[in-house]
Amino acid sequence: MALAFFPPVLALLLTLSGGGSVAWAQTAVPVAPSPADAVDASLSPECRVPGSKLYTLAPLRAVKRALKESRAIHVLAIGSSSTVGIGASSPASAYPVRLEGELEKLFPGMEIEVTNRGLSGEVASGAAERMKNTIAEVEPDLVIWQVGTNDALARVDIDSFSQNLDDTIKWIMSHRIDVVLVDPQYTASLARDDHYGQIVKTIHDVARKDGVPLVLRYEAMRYLSSQPTASGRYLARDQFHLNDLGYRCMAEHVARAITLALVEPEQAAGAAAPVATATAPAK
Amino acid sequence: MREPNAIDFWRGLALITIFVNHMPGNLFEPFMYSRYTISDATELFVFLAGWSLALATGGSRGPDSPAQVVMRLATRVVEVYRAQLVITAIAFAMIAAAALYFDNPLLLEWHGAGAFFGAPIPSVIGWVVLTYQLGYFNILPLYVVVLALAPVFILIARLSRWAALAASFALYALCLTYEITLPAWPTEGSWHFNPFAWQFLLVLGFVASQWSRDSAAFQGWAWRLMPLGVLGVALGLVAQFSEWKPDPLNVPEPRLFFIMDKPFLSPLRLLHFLALALAFQRAFSLIAPIGGWVSRQLSALGRNSLAVFSVGSLASLAGQFVRFFTGGGFLVDALVLFLGLGAQIFTAWFVEWRSRSSRPSSLSS
Repeated sequence: MALAFFPPVLALLLTLSGGGSVAWAQTAVPVAPSPADAVDASLSPECRVPGSKLYTLAPLRAVKRALKESRAIHVLAIGSSSTVGIGASSPASAYPVRLEGELEKLFPGMEIEVTNRGLSGEVASGAAERMKNTIAEVEPDLVIWQVGTNDALARVDIDSFSQNLDDTIKWIMSHRIDVVLVDPQYTASLARDDHYGQIVKTIHDVARKDGVPLVLRYEAMRYLSSQPTASGRYLARDQFHLNDLGYRCMAEHVARAITLALVEPEQAAGAAAPVATATAPAK
Repeated sequence: MREPNAIDFWRGLALITIFVNHMPGNLFEPFMYSRYTISDATELFVFLAGWSLALATGGSRGPDSPAQVVMRLATRVVEVYRAQLVITAIAFAMIAAAALYFDNPLLLEWHGAGAFFGAPIPSVIGWVVLTYQLGYFNILPLYVVVLALAPVFILIARLSRWAALAASFALYALCLTYEITLPAWPTEGSWHFNPFAWQFLLVLGFVASQWSRDSAAFQGWAWRLMPLGVLGVALGLVAQFSEWKPDPLNVPEPRLFFIMDKPFLSPLRLLHFLALALAFQRAFSLIAPIGGWVSRQLSALGRNSLAVFSVGSLASLAGQFVRFFTGGGFLVDALVLFLGLGAQIFTAWFVEWRSRSSRPSSLSS
């Protein structure tokens, strides 16, 4: 399964070492929805989700820069208890630890450091301010921000949530730090909650507007749980927190989105990327 | 039972402000003073705690002996610690009950409670040693540690108040410079309120309280500096409305001195609070004659601050549930406010009734 990642990564590294920006568009990488909405085969079988249900992409400039300068990449993972690793059988199974492993597998020889900060559940402007201070302290190249759950709980007004998210993302980007958003988790009982759905949608809108990659965790989990073999495989006994397999998938999904976002052309000028599917990794 | 006084009155106001602000998004938030100030009710609460420590240890029958000071503070530390354990336990149960009743596992995430339900083994340890704090249940752990530190500064102040201030400031500056704080565990990060930074405000309150009683020079200066306080409050108002905040990635090192940071009580917040205290130093004497029932009730809340704070914390959690399930709105928010304030007023009355009736009680705070 790890082998499946190599073609895109090799292509990426080759491009990084030699290429100009034109090369990006030619990199042979299976970018999301083309040609059909096929299941992304580069993921391990239990975690496979069609690209269109897994991510929306945008370039990651700071990480690219760090790769070019071949220095260590600092990643800051911000989020709630899914980031802390609740429900995993051991700390080593938690998502940030797994993510570090996945990324190191994808970028052999690169030093990758994932710092993990959970937020205690406070919302609105206070949390945004605290996050800025954390970012200033860690000085990461990339922030993976798992956002929305707490705001959905506090029934935070959608407009002010959107505004806060937008402001914070713009602030992070203005300091030449990349952002990848991860939207809230899916559970059957939440699918009925209107406000929750609006929060998820708002995150998608803001990600598109600000041009940041987004991991569609809600969609991906919904897809996985709809599979005939799925029942309860990804969630811990409380049916809400992820279990080890769930965290493994989440780490794979985030790592996959980061890899693809790295080869995303800088000027995503409408024309659906002329990307070859030839090297779509076989299993 | 004390007569209504400025300290209890302002502490009562702080308690109500904390109760309302801990229900984010509710319609009464804009009516809280903290919406218009850089510092908030936490500063007021800690400063007044220091102020009343001076009254408690310096009492009318002459000052306590050093051993009495330590014992008095130790008793208080135990009371506050016990309250934190109990309200956290009740909060867990409320969150679990709501998740069960509404069949909504998302609720288990509330305020970081997910760690407790998902990983109880380390979380139980963190709960007891105070490194695991639910969101909004983080003021009492701060209070436990600053009260435990307090005897050191109180006893230094017996020799010299300036020395106590200097020692306290040195600790404050040290922890801002080197970003020293207490870790959160098993959750990530650090304490929401860093006790090594916040102890400075407690000591400021303590020393100011002593000086205000026996130093005419201090009283004179405090009065003369009032316009400066008003100016500081006005500047805070401007900053709040223009949403001005220093950019934490664009400030010089050590950056904690220059940003607005609540965990470390950064200098901008501290200065703003001192301005607020200067500006409103005599406001109570204007309010008291016309305050009537309101100022009597606020004072009653302030007199029984620990019990009222505990009930207020749980009431605001309950209020958040109600807002979540009903979607909020004016009627819901008004009802939540009314019931929450009612619960706090009742608590104050109940505690005083208990201590008036001859039953022994350790709750008289």
